[in-house]
Amino acid sequence: MKDTLERPWVEKYRPQSIKEMAIPQAKVSGHRVALDEELRTFIKTFLTEIQNINEKNKKIRIYNRTVEDKKQKKELSVPPEKSAVLLEGPPGVGKTSIVYALANDLNMEVIETNASDTRTRDALESKLKETVKSRGIMDFIVQSKAKLILIDEIDGIYGVTDRGAVPAVLDLIENTQFPIIMCSNDYKRNLQTLYNKIRKIEISALSKDEILKVVKRILKKEKIDNFNPKDLNYIIEKNEGDLRGTINDLQGIYQGGLDTDTSELIYQLNRDNNEEIFSLIRELFQDARTLQQARNITDKSDVDYNFLYKWINENLPTFIKKTNELKTAYENLSLADEVFGRIRKNQYWSLLPYFYDLFSGGVVLARKYHPENEGFRRINFPRFTSTGFFSLTVAEHSFVEKIQEKYNVSEIEIIQNLLPFLRKLTSDSRKYLKLVSDWFDLDAKEKKLLTK
Amino acid sequence: MSDNIPVWRIKYLPHSLNEVCGRTELIQRLSDIIKERNFPHLLFIGPEGSGKTTIATLFSEEFLGKYFKSNFQKVYADMPLNSEELKQARSDAYISTSKIGSLAGKKVTTPAFIQVKIKPFIELKALGDVPFKILIVKNFEALDSNQQAFRRLMEIYGKNCRMILITTKASAIIDPIISRCQIFLISPPKFEDFKGEITKIVDQEDVEIEENNIKLLYKITNGKIAEAIDLLQLSSMSGKKIDNTVLYQNLMNSQTNLVRNLLLICLKGDFLKARELSRKIQSNYKYSSQEVFKLMLKEMLKLPLSRYAREKIINLIADADFRAVDGLDTDIQISNLLAKLCDFAEIL
Ligand SMILES: Nc1ncnc2c1ncn2[C@@H]1O[C@H](COP(=O)(O)OP(=O)(O)O)[C@@H](O)[C@H]1O
Ligand SMILES: [Mg+2]
Repeated sequence: MKDTLERPWVEKYRPQSIKEMAIPQAKVSGHRVALDEELRTFIKTFLTEIQNINEKNKKIRIYNRTVEDKKQKKELSVPPEKSAVLLEGPPGVGKTSIVYALANDLNMEVIETNASDTRTRDALESKLKETVKSRGIMDFIVQSKAKLILIDEIDGIYGVTDRGAVPAVLDLIENTQFPIIMCSNDYKRNLQTLYNKIRKIEISALSKDEILKVVKRILKKEKIDNFNPKDLNYIIEKNEGDLRGTINDLQGIYQGGLDTDTSELIYQLNRDNNEEIFSLIRELFQDARTLQQARNITDKSDVDYNFLYKWINENLPTFIKKTNELKTAYENLSLADEVFGRIRKNQYWSLLPYFYDLFSGGVVLARKYHPENEGFRRINFPRFTSTGFFSLTVAEHSFVEKIQEKYNVSEIEIIQNLLPFLRKLTSDSRKYLKLVSDWFDLDAKEKKLLTK
Repeated sequence: MSDNIPVWRIKYLPHSLNEVCGRTELIQRLSDIIKERNFPHLLFIGPEGSGKTTIATLFSEEFLGKYFKSNFQKVYADMPLNSEELKQARSDAYISTSKIGSLAGKKVTTPAFIQVKIKPFIELKALGDVPFKILIVKNFEALDSNQQAFRRLMEIYGKNCRMILITTKASAIIDPIISRCQIFLISPPKFEDFKGEITKIVDQEDVEIEENNIKLLYKITNGKIAEAIDLLQLSSMSGKKIDNTVLYQNLMNSQTNLVRNLLLICLKGDFLKARELSRKIQSNYKYSSQEVFKLMLKEMLKLPLSRYAREKIINLIADADFRAVDGLDTDIQISNLLAKLCDFAEIL
């Protein structure tokens, strides 16, 4: 398998440098700023400040050692508005990316905590404070490689369980040795106390042109040159400035699995690839007798696994007929799908080897019975079924709207309840077909739904 | 005019509360409320197809009178927002997407749902000579933990707008909501009322059905009027006289029966045919894998199977459903169940 395809494109093409990014438009208290410059300045200022303050604190510490407790001076720290910024903007415009890209460019290391993972004050504290607050030894490390703290999705921080999180973050900001950048989608009133103390940069959604530039670069790198511009445009538009969503959809459509409407598109895109998949499937089911053989066959192939396991699902019953073998095969394939789901949802990339073995070896080795002569078996193209998300085709949508003009019930009710009834009513009776389509004023396409 | 409506269930929709089939006590209570010109938030609980929405809508219509149009809204808590609405939601309040995938983000519709579907309506005062607006929220239980957000909304905007929350699952409604609502239990009509309604239709449409077959109709549809009327209309196509054979025949090809068929095909061990049918069910009815599993469970219980077989099949369905929660490809997850059922059939 292509190992370059092992990760989602959004990860694979996460910009490594500011140069690779579309810089989204940004504002600070209503004024346009250049986002990358703004962040650079912020980091630079912080670094000079902290150096000054550390110098002064050294003196204070020496002084404190020499006087008795009461007269001790408080140590200084960088004011919050200079030690933390908040990037606030819609999902998928590159908030997280710009932090990493910039750190890369400045040769800094990012210490990331994701607010939605670390919900309690304790967790935040232990994760950050120990690395950050402890002076002395840390002062030394600072000089080796500069660090930057990223608290991503800070809007996820406030929930039922984490009332203590805001003070923890504030505390962190007041004592940090490293510049802090926070990202957020939503404006959260709960975080007001936090917002008041720091600098906020508002980021807007990316424009279509900017998105197109990034997308074209990715398509080029993937050597995809036959993507219909109209479809591309549609995908971009549908995502409304969300580049992550756009890239995910592109990959989904290219590699299959999003929804039925796009299957035609996928088919066209992969036409050249099909012969290769055909022979791969044959080889797997007919020749592989051990796990190692199955691995070898999939490893040497160029077919992307996102795609391959759907082909295996489609063609499994062509090769495996015995019900007990089918059962074992599906036991493994469905587990593979579950594992893959978890990988995608939680980024558990370490589970990937199980996924490979389960969907390839786990499936084909379930086949115990190999006939003398396999004969020719037709390989079928995978049928892309619904992703479990209620979505209507264009025709269904307009059908529902026509119905609702006369009968005001929900989309679901119409599709799951009324439509089946109308189908039956009209299937044996031309008279009813005419009556119904006239009364609801259905056009030819909508009418076709009745006869499906 | 109404003779021209080709679909009986629409033709015989009630146009006012007193045309609603049965439920006289309930209707009386609602009529009293209309006279009082005031009511607290309401919670309508009742099984699918019992007429909750119809009754709530008619009630609102009569309560608001000629100001109905501008002061009434009905929303579905379980419908994903369309792209226009999402766009609006994003400009108002961004939907947090911590997961990968544009769909993953959009699926969490609830905060956006409130933002787009609820707030704009309830924030504004009622228009015209009515004490407040009325908002119907269907399938309220679908809001899950986001019901919490409603509790504030109900308090803050209660003055502008009263809500009628509708649900089939009382147990899924959180206590603070229940405590803020007057509760109405809406059961299907009693047989006598059901019979009255059916008889009225039968007379008008010039078909015949005997009382014991009306009983049968009541039983097989669990008193769901719309479903019963559908079945009646289908049956009427094969002749003026509607008897039990005709009723059963028409019942036999409805979609729950597709699911029953699916089970039967599995129990015959024909995996390929089963998969084909399951795909058809999924794409035609837009069922999620979860819904298919639930329907299979329901239909399975109706089949004459041994206790052992039932227990085993429940186990298989539960396992498949469980996997599908994390799985990505519903077709694989459903096929998994089908393959296991086919295999189990072999053992039986
Ligand atoms: N401005 C951008 N320039 C280039 N790629 C981007 C940009 N914004 C998003 N992307 C793509 O989308 C992915 C997710 O972006 P991310 O920075 O995580 O978005 P956010 O943090 O704003 O939700 C990135 O890995 C990258 O592939
Ligand atoms: Mg991010």
